[in-house]
Formats: sequence, C-alpha cells, structure tokens
Amino acid sequence: MPAQSGPAEISELIARCSLRDRQAFRMLYQRTSAKLFGVVLRILKNRAEAEEAIQEVYIKIWQRADRYQAGQSSPISWLVAIARNHALDMVRARRPAGDELDEAMQIADAGPDPERLAQASQEGERIETCLATLEPEKAEAVRGAYLEGYSYDELAQRYSVPLNTMRTWLRRSLIKLRECLTA
Amino acid sequence: MSDEQGKRGGDERGALVAEYVLGLLGPREHARVEAMIAADPALKAEHDFWSARFAALDSEFGEVDAPAHVLGRVEARLFGAAPKTSIWNSLALWRGLTAGALAVAVAAIGFNLMQPTPSVTSLTTQLVAALEAEGSDVRFLALYDGAGAVRLTALSGDVPSDRDLELWAIQGEQAPISMGVIPVNQRSVVELSEEVQAGWGEGSVLAITLEPKGGAPEGRATGPVVALGEVHQI
Repeated sequence: MPAQSGPAEISELIARCSLRDRQAFRMLYQRTSAKLFGVVLRILKNRAEAEEAIQEVYIKIWQRADRYQAGQSSPISWLVAIARNHALDMVRARRPAGDELDEAMQIADAGPDPERLAQASQEGERIETCLATLEPEKAEAVRGAYLEGYSYDELAQRYSVPLNTMRTWLRRSLIKLRECLTA
Repeated sequence: MSDEQGKRGGDERGALVAEYVLGLLGPREHARVEAMIAADPALKAEHDFWSARFAALDSEFGEVDAPAHVLGRVEARLFGAAPKTSIWNSLALWRGLTAGALAVAVAAIGFNLMQPTPSVTSLTTQLVAALEAEGSDVRFLALYDGAGAVRLTALSGDVPSDRDLELWAIQGEQAPISMGVIPVNQRSVVELSEEVQAGWGEGSVLAITLEPKGGAPEGRATGPVVALGEVHQI
C-alpha cells in the first residue's frame, strides 16, 4: 500500500468512481485493496475464497459508488462494510442450514429514540471504553463476531456453552453495550 | 405500554439489530431483520448507530496485499477485455441508453429547432446528449449549438429545495470538470469554458450530480449522479 491516504482523498476517489472515472477506480483499488483483502481474508480464513471475494467487493464498490454520501460515514468504514458484509454473506451461504436458531425472537413494538441515536453516533470511538465494561470473555465474543465473523454456533463451541445460552449471554451484553454507548 | 415495557422492547430491538450488524444471525433470520430495517426508519437509525459504533473496530483489520492479478481481473470484468478502445464504448451504462431515449432526443431537437435559435448554424455540426440514469427521474437533453454553448432542456425530475444540480464534463481519463450549477425544470444555456472546449467532441460525457446549494465545494463532485449521457453527433 502506498503512503497513507487521507479520508478526504478516498472520499474524492469514490465520488469520481460514481462519475465513471476509471483512473480513479484504479487509484482507489491501489489505496484500499490491502485493507479490504485483510478484511475478507480474516473473515473467510481461506485465500482462494478471499481472492474471489475481493473481486466481487470491488465490482460492488464501482457499482455502488453513487450511493456513497460524503460526510455521512468515513469512506474507509463504507468500504470495509461492503467487504465485511460480502464475506459474511459468503460465510452464511456455506454454513449448514441446521445452524439456524429455532425460536425467532419476539420483538415488542417500541422503537429507540432516533435523535438520541444519531447524536450518540457522532461521538466517536466510545466502543472500546464500553466493551471494557463487559466481562472480558463477553467483550471478546462481540469482537470475535465483528472481526472474525463468528456465528453463534462457532462462539458456543469456542466458549463451550449451549447455543441458546450463548445467544442469551450475548444479547444481554449487547443491551448493556448499547446502554453504555448511549449514556 | 408502561415505560418499563417500552424500554425492554427498545432494548430487544436494539440487540436484534446489533446481532444483524455483527452477522450473528442465520440466513433466514438475517433476511427477516434486513426487511424489518428497510421498512422501519427507527430500526434504520438503530442500524446506522451500531454500524458507526462497530466501525471504530475497523482499524483492527490488518492489511494484507491482494494477489497481483486481482486488479486486472476486476477491470476486465467491469470494463471489458480491451480497455484500449474507446473508454466509454464498453460500458453497460451506455447500452442502457435505449432507442427510446434517442427518440426523445430527436423529438426534443425538433422542438428546439422550432424556437428561434439564431446561434444554431448547421445541423451537421451539432452534438446532442440524452442525460439520464437508472433509479433517477432527472432527465435532460443537451444540445451543442456548434458555437461554444450547450443548450439544456429539462425533461423531468425534481430536486430537494436544499440541493442544486451541477453539470460536469468528463473527457477521456481526466477528472470531471464542473460546468456549473444548472436550473431545474427550465431551459438554460451553458457556455463551454476553455478547459471543456479543449477536449470537447463526440464521446465526451455530460453528467449531472446532486450537490449542496451553490454547487460542489472545491469543484469536486460529492453527490450521487442523477443523470448522464454521452455526446453524439447528429
């Protein structure tokens, strides 16, 4: 990867891609492909699959460049989300069907307060602080899900607990995390 | 519903969206929650909240160089095997400019010619572009008058009151050149700057983006492309 590119430069390259500027696409690839390959490789844990994934990811980036809204999220986060979600889709597709949890959660109809959420989103990097308020292995499980793409099944095996216990555990942790993040 | 029940409902919805963002759900439930988020602005806000928060962990993904042949394969798939021919020829986008759009163009030219147009010298020197894009109802017709100006006719499309439309010229591999903010829903004439004039001709591309009021800051497009088209000689 060449010298560290600033978010403003990446943002401009994405905007130029939306104007079908091929040179900008090549530059965007050169600036960001090592990061995104790192993402898909970490989640897929298989070089051949990661190689297939990274191609699809850049095709999606070219196709969706016009949906990127500068200022709404950091351009790197936007790119990482495309890469991570694509890798997770591949992981989901290859998991056995029986992996699905039985009971769909019943959701009461009470929404969060969007204004408060929006405000909280702007605050920056509180996630580390809030993860630190969880028990270490629960914080580790949340990070494992985000960074390694672990499913509930894989987490249950890693921590040697039944699947439903794992889900109850993690849901409580996520509720606690949300309270901390919006506090 | 009591406050306590409401809070619990909110907590559960929040946790479910967090599970979705983390990618913990199986395919069926993942698809179900995806549909719920698409249909409910409060859940969309919850989704954006979690995405933004977890994105702070993105710095923990290390960099690994992708195999050298990947870029070539991606470009071949996107742009076709022989990118040396005209850059724009192979774009699927242009294939989307249907005979219908050209018919609109021709009809509109006929209409234009009925107006007093002293600067139009000869049809044979004219260039025309139909500007449109999938998913957008903004459509313009651009007609070059052969004497340094493009006459724009808005065919359809509305723009939010806090935004402006900005016109761009794309020529070869250069960065898009701004041709300024253009009025919505009316005709206008845009003079070509020297910079645009230098590369102007068949194959030039005109694009319209949605920008903040007054146009893109620093002369670089920031908004989505709402219409574009290649310039053709008629």
